Amino acid sequence: METTTSIPIWKRIWDRLGILGAIIILVLIGIVVSFIQNQQVTTAVLSSTIRQSTPLVLGALCGLIGERTGIINIGIEGQMLMAAFIGYLANVYIGQLGVFSVGMTLFLAALIGIATGALLGLLLAFMSVTLKMDQIIGGTVINILAIGITGYFYQVGLTTQGKLQPIALGRLADIPLVGPVLFDNPPITYITLILVVVVHYMLFYTRWGLRSRAVGEYPSAADTVGINVYLMRYVNTTIAGGFAGLAGVFLTLEAVGSFERLMTNGRGFVALAVMIFGKWTPFGAWGAALLFGFATAMQTQFQFMGNLTIPHQFIGMLPYLLTIVVLAGFVGRSRPPAAEGIPYEKE
Amino acid sequence: MTRKPLCILISMLIFLSVALSACDTSPREVCIVLDTGGENDKSFNEYSLKGAREAAAEMGLDFAHVVSSSPNEYGTNIENFVEEGCDMIITVGFLMGDATAEAARENPDVTFAIIDAAYFPGAGCSVDASDCYTEEGGLGNVTSLMFAEDEVGYLAGTLAACMSETGTIGSVAAVEIPPVVRFVTGYQNGAKAFDPDIETLNVYIPDFNDPADGKQAGETQIYNGADVIFGVGGNTGNAALLAAHEAGVMAIGVDVDQYNTFPDVAPSLLTSAMKNMDVAAGNAVRAYAKGELLPGILMSNMANDGIGLAPFHDLDDQVPDACKTAVNIAASGLKRRVVDTGYTP
Repeated sequence: METTTSIPIWKRIWDRLGILGAIIILVLIGIVVSFIQNQQVTTAVLSSTIRQSTPLVLGALCGLIGERTGIINIGIEGQMLMAAFIGYLANVYIGQLGVFSVGMTLFLAALIGIATGALLGLLLAFMSVTLKMDQIIGGTVINILAIGITGYFYQVGLTTQGKLQPIALGRLADIPLVGPVLFDNPPITYITLILVVVVHYMLFYTRWGLRSRAVGEYPSAADTVGINVYLMRYVNTTIAGGFAGLAGVFLTLEAVGSFERLMTNGRGFVALAVMIFGKWTPFGAWGAALLFGFATAMQTQFQFMGNLTIPHQFIGMLPYLLTIVVLAGFVGRSRPPAAEGIPYEKE
Repeated sequence: MTRKPLCILISMLIFLSVALSACDTSPREVCIVLDTGGENDKSFNEYSLKGAREAAAEMGLDFAHVVSSSPNEYGTNIENFVEEGCDMIITVGFLMGDATAEAARENPDVTFAIIDAAYFPGAGCSVDASDCYTEEGGLGNVTSLMFAEDEVGYLAGTLAACMSETGTIGSVAAVEIPPVVRFVTGYQNGAKAFDPDIETLNVYIPDFNDPADGKQAGETQIYNGADVIFGVGGNTGNAALLAAHEAGVMAIGVDVDQYNTFPDVAPSLLTSAMKNMDVAAGNAVRAYAKGELLPGILMSNMANDGIGLAPFHDLDDQVPDACKTAVNIAASGLKRRVVDTGYTP
C-alpha cells in the first residue's frame, strides 16, 4: 500500500510541521542572516531575549500549573516580589553567619526564596479551596500583602553576599552565537529551560498531569473516580508558587544581586498574559515569553539608533504592540480550563 | 447626670490643648519628602536627605522624612507634613514638581524647597505671570534648587570619549525627565566634542526602580561595543554600573561620588558626575533657619562648584594625563561660559 508516494514531499513535511514549524524555520533563518550581517548586535539581542524571558516563563509556569488545576493565580507578582525579598534577606543573613561558602549561601537563599513562593501558593490554596474565597480577591490579597511587607521591612545598607554567576558549559560555550546565548548562562536560566520540558512532560504524559487537568476541567468527574480534588489543588498551587518563587530569586540573586521596592515591576502580570498567549501550555508560554523578551530586547536596540526619528516612548510600546498583534492575529482563540476560578464543592 | 462632669472635663481638655498649641514653643520643623528611589538609592534621595538632616541638626531644627512608595503618594505625603505642622518642606525630584506647586499654593505659610524642578510662566503658574516665584505667580514661598546637569554630563562625556578604546560609549538613563535629559545630552555632546566619530548609545527606561531592566540595557550596550557606561537614574542606572563592572568595562556614576556609596562597583568606577545635593539641600535649610531663604531658582553649576566630577580613585593611574587635561580644559571652558553643552530646554 504505497499511498504516500502520491503526496509530494513538501506537503508531507508541511503536514508534519504545520505553520508552527514554518515559523520556527523562518526565525532560525532570520537569526542566521542577521548574525552574518552583524555578530555583535545579534548576540546582544538574543542573549537579552533569554534573560528578559526567564522570569516571565517561570511566572507563566506558576500560573498555568495553578489554572490547569482550576485555581486562578493573579498573585504571581506578589509571590515573585516576596520571594525576591526573602531570598535576598536570606542571602545577606546566612552570609553574615560566615558558616557556609558563597555558593552554599546562594543555594540556601534560593531554596528559602522558592519556599516563600510556595508558602504564598499554599496561602492562595487555603483561601480558594478551604475558604472558597473568590480567587481573584485571594490573589489580590497576596499582591497587596507582598508590597506592604517588603516595603515595610525593606532595610537600608545591606551588603550582598555575591550572586549567581554564569556557568559556561565547556566547549559548547565557544560556539559562535549559540555559545554565548545558550550555553553561558547563570544557573536559574538553565533550570528554567529544563523546567519548561519537565512541566510539559509532567502535565501531558504522567498520571499526575492527567489528574491535574481533570481537576481543572471537570472536578466532579475527577472526584467520582476517586481523585482528591482539594488535595490536588492544594499541592499544585503550592508547587506552582515555588516556580514564582524561583522567578523572584532570579531577579535578586541572579540578575542584580540586590532588592529594591516594587522591583518586579509588573513582570508577574506580564507572565499571566504570556500564559494565556501560550494557551496554557509550557512550550506555548515559553515561545510567548521569548517573543516578548525579543521585542523588549529589540526596543532597547532600536533606542541606540540615533538616526531613528520615532520618539523612544513609541519604541517602548513595541513588546506590548507585538503581543497584541500576535495574540489577535495568529494565536486565535485560547480556551481556559473549564473549571478554573470555581471553588469545588462536594455534593 | 453622670455625663455632665465628663463633658466639662472634655471641653476643658480641648480648651487646654488649643491654648497649648497656640503657645507652641517647640523648634520649627524641617520635613523632606523623598522620591520612590528611597533613602538607600546610593545617590539622589540619600544625599538630599543627608544634607538636609545634618543642616537641621546643626541649626537646632526638628526633622522628619518620608519615602514616597509610588508617584501617586507625592501629594498625600506633602499634605501629611503640612498637617503635622512642618514649617519647611523639601521635596526631592522633578516628578514632585506639580504636587509641590499645588501644596505651595494652598499653604502660603509653609516654606517649600524643591530639588530639580523649576517653574516658569506657563509651566507651574499662569502664562500671564511675569515670574512664578512671587505672590502674583502663586509660588512666592518656593525655592527651586537646580543643577546644571548638562555641564557635569559634558565633562563625563569628555572623559568617557577620551578613555574609550572601542569608540563606543553608553548611557543607561531612567525616566526621561529634564534633569536626566540634561545629563544624557551633556554626556553625548561632551563626548562628540572630544571625538566627533564617537558612537554614543543611550537607553531611557521609564522606571527609577527596575534594576533588572537597567542591567539588561547595560549588558546590551556592552555587547554593542560600549566600554564606558554612564548610569543615570536611581536603582535602574546603578544596575547598569553593575553590568559594566561584571563585564570588566568602565562605569561612570551619577549624582554623588558612587565610589563611596556603591562599593560593589568601586573597582570599575571611573568617576561620578556629581550634583552636590547634600550641599544644596543643607544650604537651603541653613538659609531658611536664618530667615535668608529667598524664593526663586538657586542654580548649582560649574561656576559656583555646585557640581563636578568625582575623583578617579582606583583608576587614577589608568587615566592618561591627556584625558585629565581634556577634562580640565572643558571644565574651565564651562566655568567661563565659552563652552556650550548643547542642551536647550
